[in-house]
Amino acid sequence: MTITRSQIIKPFYFVLPFLIVIGLWELAVDMGTVSSRLVPSPSLITLKFYRLMTPEPILLNVLYMSFYRLILGYALGVLIGVSLGILMGVSNLLYRVFSPILSLLISVPTLAWVPLLLVTLGPGEETVIIAIFLGSFFPIVYNTLNGIRSVSKHRVWAAHIMGADKATVFFEVLLPGSLVSIITGLRLAIGYSWRALVGAEMLAAGISAGVGQMIYAAKAFNDVEAMFAGLIIIAIGGLLLDRLLMDPIERKTVEKWGMVKER
Amino acid sequence: MKVKQILRSGLLFLTPIALLLLGWEVVATLEIINPALVSRPSEIFPLLYELIMPKTRSFLGHSIFLDIYTSLYRLLYAFIIAVVSGVTLGMLMGRNKLVYRFFDPLITVLMPIPGIAWAPIFMLWLGFGDPTIITVGALAAFFPIVYNTAAGVRSVEKKLVWSARSMGADEKTIFLKVFLPWSAAYIFTGIKLALARGWRTIIAVEMIAASLFGLGFIIFDARDYLRPSIIYAGIIVLVVIYFLIENMIKLIEKRTIEKWGMVRS
Repeated sequence: MTITRSQIIKPFYFVLPFLIVIGLWELAVDMGTVSSRLVPSPSLITLKFYRLMTPEPILLNVLYMSFYRLILGYALGVLIGVSLGILMGVSNLLYRVFSPILSLLISVPTLAWVPLLLVTLGPGEETVIIAIFLGSFFPIVYNTLNGIRSVSKHRVWAAHIMGADKATVFFEVLLPGSLVSIITGLRLAIGYSWRALVGAEMLAAGISAGVGQMIYAAKAFNDVEAMFAGLIIIAIGGLLLDRLLMDPIERKTVEKWGMVKER
Repeated sequence: MKVKQILRSGLLFLTPIALLLLGWEVVATLEIINPALVSRPSEIFPLLYELIMPKTRSFLGHSIFLDIYTSLYRLLYAFIIAVVSGVTLGMLMGRNKLVYRFFDPLITVLMPIPGIAWAPIFMLWLGFGDPTIITVGALAAFFPIVYNTAAGVRSVEKKLVWSARSMGADEKTIFLKVFLPWSAAYIFTGIKLALARGWRTIIAVEMIAASLFGLGFIIFDARDYLRPSIIYAGIIVLVVIYFLIENMIKLIEKRTIEKWGMVRS
């Protein structure tokens, strides 16, 4: 594989605006145009990252705790969301029972559940994990359901006529037919989960470490550098989850099987 | 016939919800879970009425309408700021390649940051209350608008612009008659996303940056007094408001974008 010219130029164009902004920012703070107590310079934020890594790698613990919660909550959301979505898509009765309830609950902002979780589950891990679950559950169940229901009835009938039993129809017709939609749901959900994680970690007072907790704790000490460091972690984390995790999954499954709609 | 249909679909919609409330009531009455921690429908709905029509010494000390009003005007201000700045920058990005190249990476990285994560920084800069809540709400709503506006303007076919120009249209006419109508559907998509995002963010930021009023504030405050009924009542109000906003948008969409035939295929 040879490196083409565009492979160098593209990342360069992507990074260049950041370099310009960071440069101007550093200049503005250093020259005293902006107070460094309100806006820390990029070099101070870099120093903060260094301090978070030495002598003890606090940052690694923060990331570890956050990702641990994210994975638990998201896995729960995928498991229950996909199952319920499939059941609702297959059974008309379940669809009729659950879809009115879901259509009401889906409009509740995820973080509005957090006060309720704080009262019932306490300000600990459970609250954060369930909040992440709620954030991921709704887009997953909604997209799974839509995917299954959008599979053409004719295909199902055709499979039936050709002698396929229910299991075969499900695995050979319904599931492949709805995969694009399911993966879309999974992808949306990882973003929602990340958002729920940050918010819930800020609101749940009882957790020991986490990205959201780091920002919120920094507020008590007016530690602007830690706030900015936290924001940077959140931005990069969200981007990486989407690009490094979901992109390959989408490419390996949906695109490989040629199921993406023609554009 | 039509009345019958509406009744039927209404019944189909309401029955599961009624069953859920009934089941919930039964479970709560059996006191499987500590009753101080969970509420039940027979408490929530009377409380909701009391929140709307407060007696002299009610829990909140004011009608919940004041909180609804507070949250909604915060949303309105945030939304206006986001639309004006987002559409302007989006148009510039769509028309000018250099502007696009500069802002596109920044937006890609900043857009996924949840609104509430900005709250502590803005609280440090602007303090408690409206300035912080409105600014963070506007910031959250800004990204979908700018992103979709830029995408809309960039989707305009070059041939349309060329033909308009060859027929003697000046830049202003091209902008008003070609770019704006063509990207209207995209801008509308951005606006819809922005309203939802702004609303979510404002409720969330109210939990940490508000004082005294706001729906996010009262449901978060109720947690301190172990009054889950208030939280449930607040969530019901959130659902109703969101339902109204959503239908209002649908109506506007039908009257404008769809009527003008600008819906994206």
